[in-house]
Amino acid sequence: MASQIAASEIGKRHYRWKELGLLLVPMLILLLEMFQLPLAQYYKTSINNDSKPVPFSTSLLPTLHDLIPILGLIAVIVAIHIILTIFFPKTDQMLFPVVALLSGLGVLLALRTGPDASTGSDPNLGIKQLAWVLMGMVVFLMTLFGLRSLDWLRRYKYTWAALGIILVAVTLVNAFRTKNFNAPTHDQLNLGPFALQPSEFLKILIVVFFAAYLSENQDVIAGGNLRIGPITLPPLRQLGPLLLMLGISLALFLGVRELGLALLIYGIFLSMLYLGSGKTSYVVGGLVVFFALGFIAYELFGYIRDRFTTVGIDMVNWQNWSDTTIALVRDTGSQVAQGLVAISSGGILGSGFGLGHASGLVPVAQSDMVVAVLGEEFGLVGLFALIGFYLILLYRGFRIAIEAREPFQQILAAGLTSIFGIQTLIICAGNLKILPLTGIPLPFLSYGGSSVIANFIIIGILLRISHNTAREREGLA
Amino acid sequence: MTLDVFLLILRLLGIVLLYLFLMQVIISITRDLRKISSSNDDALGKLPPVIGHLIVVDSGPSKIPPGTSFNLNPQTTIGRGPTNTIQISETFVSSEHTRMWLRNGVWYVQDAGSTNGTFLNNQPAKDALAARTGDIIQVGFIRFKLA
Repeated sequence: MASQIAASEIGKRHYRWKELGLLLVPMLILLLEMFQLPLAQYYKTSINNDSKPVPFSTSLLPTLHDLIPILGLIAVIVAIHIILTIFFPKTDQMLFPVVALLSGLGVLLALRTGPDASTGSDPNLGIKQLAWVLMGMVVFLMTLFGLRSLDWLRRYKYTWAALGIILVAVTLVNAFRTKNFNAPTHDQLNLGPFALQPSEFLKILIVVFFAAYLSENQDVIAGGNLRIGPITLPPLRQLGPLLLMLGISLALFLGVRELGLALLIYGIFLSMLYLGSGKTSYVVGGLVVFFALGFIAYELFGYIRDRFTTVGIDMVNWQNWSDTTIALVRDTGSQVAQGLVAISSGGILGSGFGLGHASGLVPVAQSDMVVAVLGEEFGLVGLFALIGFYLILLYRGFRIAIEAREPFQQILAAGLTSIFGIQTLIICAGNLKILPLTGIPLPFLSYGGSSVIANFIIIGILLRISHNTAREREGLA
Repeated sequence: MTLDVFLLILRLLGIVLLYLFLMQVIISITRDLRKISSSNDDALGKLPPVIGHLIVVDSGPSKIPPGTSFNLNPQTTIGRGPTNTIQISETFVSSEHTRMWLRNGVWYVQDAGSTNGTFLNNQPAKDALAARTGDIIQVGFIRFKLA
């Protein structure tokens, strides 16, 4: 009896049952939404013609042919599950199902928003996003197999930092040359058929650099030997390289008006400083510096002031808008204002996938304003579920960090996880008019190749760390 | 049945599935956490057994007198940082210097990315090396005997 139990436990350990179980419902969700999309489109066109209720007939049901994009994605997800079972049986089992669901929803949203007017009407947007997600999954496996030892990430930290800065600097010089700052593509690097967004990869490189540097100088930075009155400052000499790196990236982004990326980089810096030193005082100090700098920037740069006037629009009290407010809502504030109208029209249960109007009315609905589309079509319950998924992603990431054995791997895992957290926070707050709206993608859901691939690299590194930890626990090294 | 009723059913089904998935994940998380807390209780029940010692043979430039003995845990880290099992506050010891662990009754020694290196019987321990009782383990410039 006892031996039987032991045998079954060993069997469980070798097959990833938990992951398989958790993958079933996401697959059903993706299939259901894909099934619903053509029906919703038919419904919308026929309701436009006359207001009579549309009769339902089985001939309207989408055929298997219409479901091909999602069926293909599901096949790849199952293939990855099998590969993980064979080669990495002991890595974390909860991360991949959540990522599969989120990236599948991203494909569905691109399929949904693609044909609509606001995006410049690209009916192939969904297929493009699908291709990016599949490529991302390949990159994810490559990261998982390729990063045999994480040590070389740590050893060549200055190389990674320099690489990231050079990539972004080249893009910016390009942007300066062509002088098209206001075009949404000004931070792209065109390499043949690919339009890369180096800033997506810069954030990973910065986290690698910070993690390597902090793990090596952990005790010195936590020591805090510089005292000014009652305040203990971190030793400036050890913080030098960190501050230099931070300064360069902030200057780069503020130079080309990438407010969101600057915010993201500063958020990463603060959370990693806290992870490395365990001192709340550094974070508080960092926030004070942030607000001081933010105030100076607000006074100096007109475009930051413009962003904040949008935050000040009183949406509820719309009857009493002055002429200037109306002009603002029609012009620079239209994205946020339309998004809020869309979210409120979704109500609690939402209008149903494919039945909202946000993707036709909100500018750039496929990437920046994806939260508004989701809020309208899935409603408040859908948004809550979405935030729940991101919280689970964060929880698992920090679990992997806690379990890791080496300080470098711990700080790296936690830092990479906090990228997801900070990005989700900034873009959701931007969509809900709590912060100025910035062009940061919502991880896995926004349309965009670079961001999808960068996110899959992050997941790859996280699972690799989890795999290393599990192997070390068995005593193999 | 009209199409909007059918779409309403699909929409509600979608919401139910989303929350079903959320519930499923949270259930497996709580199970996971229970398992950890029960295994922690097990670990607390038993006193950590002393399964080996490191005895200083040659203190090098440090102030640790020869003959000092350090207890080893099944997972031991040696270094200058405050999180190490064996903490040695000397400038030539890196903050994370050496790791040692016991597996199937055999001690393994590996360098944890230190500046001055870890050596087992004068052999650099970049990769994990198996150590036997009586072997000399050198951390930076301090030499220990495994006992």
